[in-house]
Amino acid sequence: MSPGVETSMGLAVPAARTKFVFGKRDEPGRAIWLLLGPCLLYLIVFSIYPLFHSLRLSLTDLTAATGTGNFVGLANYRALLSDPQFWNAARNSAIMVVCSVTLQVVLGVALAMFFNLQLRGAWIVRGILLLPMLMTPIVVGVMWRALLNPDWGLVNWAIRHVGLTPPDWLGSIGMSMVTVILVDTWQWTPFVFIIVFARLQALSQDVFEAAQVDGAGPFVTFRRITLPMLMPAIVFAGVFRAVDAFRSFDLIYGLSYGGPARSTTTLSFFSFQNGFQFQNYGYAAAVAYMMLLILAVGTTVMLKYVQIRPGDTR
Amino acid sequence: MKGKTHHPRPGEDVATLSGGLTRRDLMQRAGVLGLAAAFTGLGGIEALQAAGFDMKKYAGTKINILMTGDENDHRALADMAPKFAEETGMELEITSPALGALIEKTLQNLKAEKSSFDLIEYLGFLTTQQVGGGYYEQLNAYIDDPAKTPPDWDFNDIIPAALKNVGIFDMASGAVGKGKDIYGIPGLHSGSVIYFYRKDLFDAAGLQPAKTWDEFKAAAQKLHTDDVAGCSFIGANDFSLAAVDWYTRFITTGGALMTGSAKEKNFKPQVNSKEGIAALQMLIDLLPYAPKNVTKYGFAENVDGFSTGKIAQMIFWSTIAGPILNSENSMVADKTGTTPVPSGDGKSPRAIQGGWGVGIPKNIDPAKKDAAWLALTWITNKAVNRYSIEKYNIDANRSSAFNDPELVAKFPYLKDALTAIETADTIPTSLIPEFFQLNDVMNVEFNAALIGTQDAKTACEKVQTQWEAILRKAGHLA
Repeated sequence: MSPGVETSMGLAVPAARTKFVFGKRDEPGRAIWLLLGPCLLYLIVFSIYPLFHSLRLSLTDLTAATGTGNFVGLANYRALLSDPQFWNAARNSAIMVVCSVTLQVVLGVALAMFFNLQLRGAWIVRGILLLPMLMTPIVVGVMWRALLNPDWGLVNWAIRHVGLTPPDWLGSIGMSMVTVILVDTWQWTPFVFIIVFARLQALSQDVFEAAQVDGAGPFVTFRRITLPMLMPAIVFAGVFRAVDAFRSFDLIYGLSYGGPARSTTTLSFFSFQNGFQFQNYGYAAAVAYMMLLILAVGTTVMLKYVQIRPGDTR
Repeated sequence: MKGKTHHPRPGEDVATLSGGLTRRDLMQRAGVLGLAAAFTGLGGIEALQAAGFDMKKYAGTKINILMTGDENDHRALADMAPKFAEETGMELEITSPALGALIEKTLQNLKAEKSSFDLIEYLGFLTTQQVGGGYYEQLNAYIDDPAKTPPDWDFNDIIPAALKNVGIFDMASGAVGKGKDIYGIPGLHSGSVIYFYRKDLFDAAGLQPAKTWDEFKAAAQKLHTDDVAGCSFIGANDFSLAAVDWYTRFITTGGALMTGSAKEKNFKPQVNSKEGIAALQMLIDLLPYAPKNVTKYGFAENVDGFSTGKIAQMIFWSTIAGPILNSENSMVADKTGTTPVPSGDGKSPRAIQGGWGVGIPKNIDPAKKDAAWLALTWITNKAVNRYSIEKYNIDANRSSAFNDPELVAKFPYLKDALTAIETADTIPTSLIPEFFQLNDVMNVEFNAALIGTQDAKTACEKVQTQWEAILRKAGHLA
C-alpha cells in the first residue's frame, strides 16, 4: 500500500507530495507509459510499421507473379529514374501543384478580401461557397465528368446554348490537365479562402487606421500591410494545398483516369496503377517513397525560402 | 450475412421494409421463390434424393466465396443463395470486391497458410497466374466420383471452349487448355464478342449485316447521318479498345499477337506487324462515321449510344445484348440484330475469349473440401445458369442454357453468343502475369492515335517497344 495519511474513515489518501496518480510515487515511468502507451502503440502499428514495411517492399521485386519478393537493393529506384512514364507523371504532378495552388491562392485571397467588405447577405454566399470542399474528391471527379460529358453534359449544353463551341474538356491531351486543375481549383479555393479570411478577420484595425491617416491608398495598404500580415495564413494554406495536390489521386481516378495518353497521370495515379492494376508492388512502393522524398524536400525548401512573417529573413 | 454481398452497389435501393428486408431483397427473393417453385415442379431436389444422392450431407457448413463485384455474377448468386440454403442446408457467404482488390485478396488467400475462402472466382485472363501457380485443387477425382457429384450436374453440358479457357491446365508445360487436368469450373459467366446492328436501318438502306471489315466500313459510310453514327467502337483509353476492337480486327485479318513462348524466353510481340498496323488504321478510318466523341467512348457510352438509337452498328461483348435487347432499357430492342463479328476476306469470324472460372483453393480446411465441391457444383448447375441469363443476361457457360428454346425465343442473340464463345481465341498475353500492363500500354497508345497525336504505325511501334521492355524485364524475352 502506498504511504499516505489515514483519515477518520479509515481511507488512505495520497501524501501531499505524491505526483503520479497511476503509479507509485517512486515509479513515475509507469504512469508515463500508461498514458503514452496507447498512442505509441497506435503510431507503431498504423504509421511506423507500414512506413518501414513499404520501404522494405520498395527494395524488393515483389509482384503478384513472384509472390515472394527478392531483395534487389535500389534497383526499383534506378529503374524509376530511367522510366519515361515516371518522369511524365512527375511532370504532370508538378504542373498540377504549381498551377492549381497558384490559382487557389490568388482566388482564395481575392475572395477573402471581397468578403471582408462585410456586404449585406455575404454570410449566405460564404456558406454556399464552402460547399465544394465538403465533398469527397471522388464524388467531385465523377460529378464533373458527368457535367462535362461531351454528349449530354450540362456544361457543354450551356456553352452551346449561348452559341459557343465547348472545348474538348477531357478528350484532348492539351485540355485534360487544364480541366483537372480547374476542377481541383473549384473544390479547394474555399479552403484557402476560409484560412485567409479567418486571419483577415483577426487583424488589428489600428494598423489600417494609421495607414489611412498617413494617406496610404487601397493598393499600397494591401501590398504593404494586408498582404504581409496575411502571409503566415497564405503560406500555411499554400503548403497544405501543395502537399494535398501533389498526392491527388481520387480526383484523377474519378475525372480523367489518368488519360488521355497519360496526360493527367500523376505520381499517385502512377503508383496506384503499378500496385493495384499491374501488381508490381515493389515498384509501386518505390514510386510512393519517391513521392515522400519529393514532398519532404519540397516542403522544407518552401518553408525555408518563403517569407512567412514581415521582416522574417530566414 | 447469409446470401448477401458485403458491398451495396451505387444506386442500390436500400430502403428497408419491415422485417429488415430491403425492397430490393424482397423483389429478388420473390423472384427466386417463383423460380424455386418451377424447379420443384421439374423434380429438382426430390429427383436427386430419389436417385440416392444426399444434397444435404454437409448441412450446417458455411461456404465462403470470393468473386467479382464488377459484373452481375454476385447479384445472381445472392438471389439464389436462399435456394442454395434450402437445397443443401449450407450457408453461402459472398464477398465481391472490384477487380483490383479481388486479385490482391485472391493472391493473399492462395499464398496464406489457410485460405479464408472455400471457393474463388478468377478471371480467365489470369488462369496461368492463379491456376498455373498450383494453388487450386485438381477436380478430376471429384467430377468422376458419383458419391460427390450430383447426378444431374452434367459435366458434359459445360461449353468445352469455356472449360479450356479457365478450367483445363497442364502443370508440366504451363499451358492453358492442354491435357485433361481440371482445376476450375467455368463460372459464373463466359463471353466473347458479337456484332450488333440496326435491322431497320440496314433494311431501309438495302444492306446486309457486314460479313467483312470492308462491308462494315461501307455500311458505316452509307448509314452515317447527323442523328445516327454509322458505327461505333471503344475509342477511349479502356481495356476493351485493345481487347475487343483492335484484337478482333487483328486476328480476323490474319494477325498473330505473339510468337515463341514465355517459357522459352522468346515470347515476341507482333503488334507492329502489317496486320497490327492495319487493324488500328481500320479504327482510325472509321472515325468520320463514328460518334463525334468516340475517343471518349468506353463501355457505358457505347451501350447508352446504341440503346438510344444513335449507333447503327458495332462489335461488342455479347454480355451487352441483354440490356440492348430489353425494351425496358433500350429504344431499339426490337430493331437490333446480332451476328458473328465480321472478318477479313477468307478468314473466320472470331474474337477474344472472356469469362471466369471458379476453383477450390488447396489450402482450405481439408474437412470442407467435399462441401466446397458440392457448393461449386450447385453454383454452376443448370438452374443457376438459366437464372443468370434470364434475370441478368449473363453469358453463362452451359450449352443447355444457350439452347433452351424458351430462352432463345426471348433472347435470339444467344445463338450468336454461343458460337462466339465456342470459336473464341484465348489472347496469348493472358498466359503471362503482365497481361494488364501490356493491355494498358496498348490502350494508351491506340487512344493517342485515335485522338490524332500519332499515326497507326507510330502507335504500334511504340507499343512494340514498350512491350518488349516489359517482357524482357519479366524474363519472358531474352
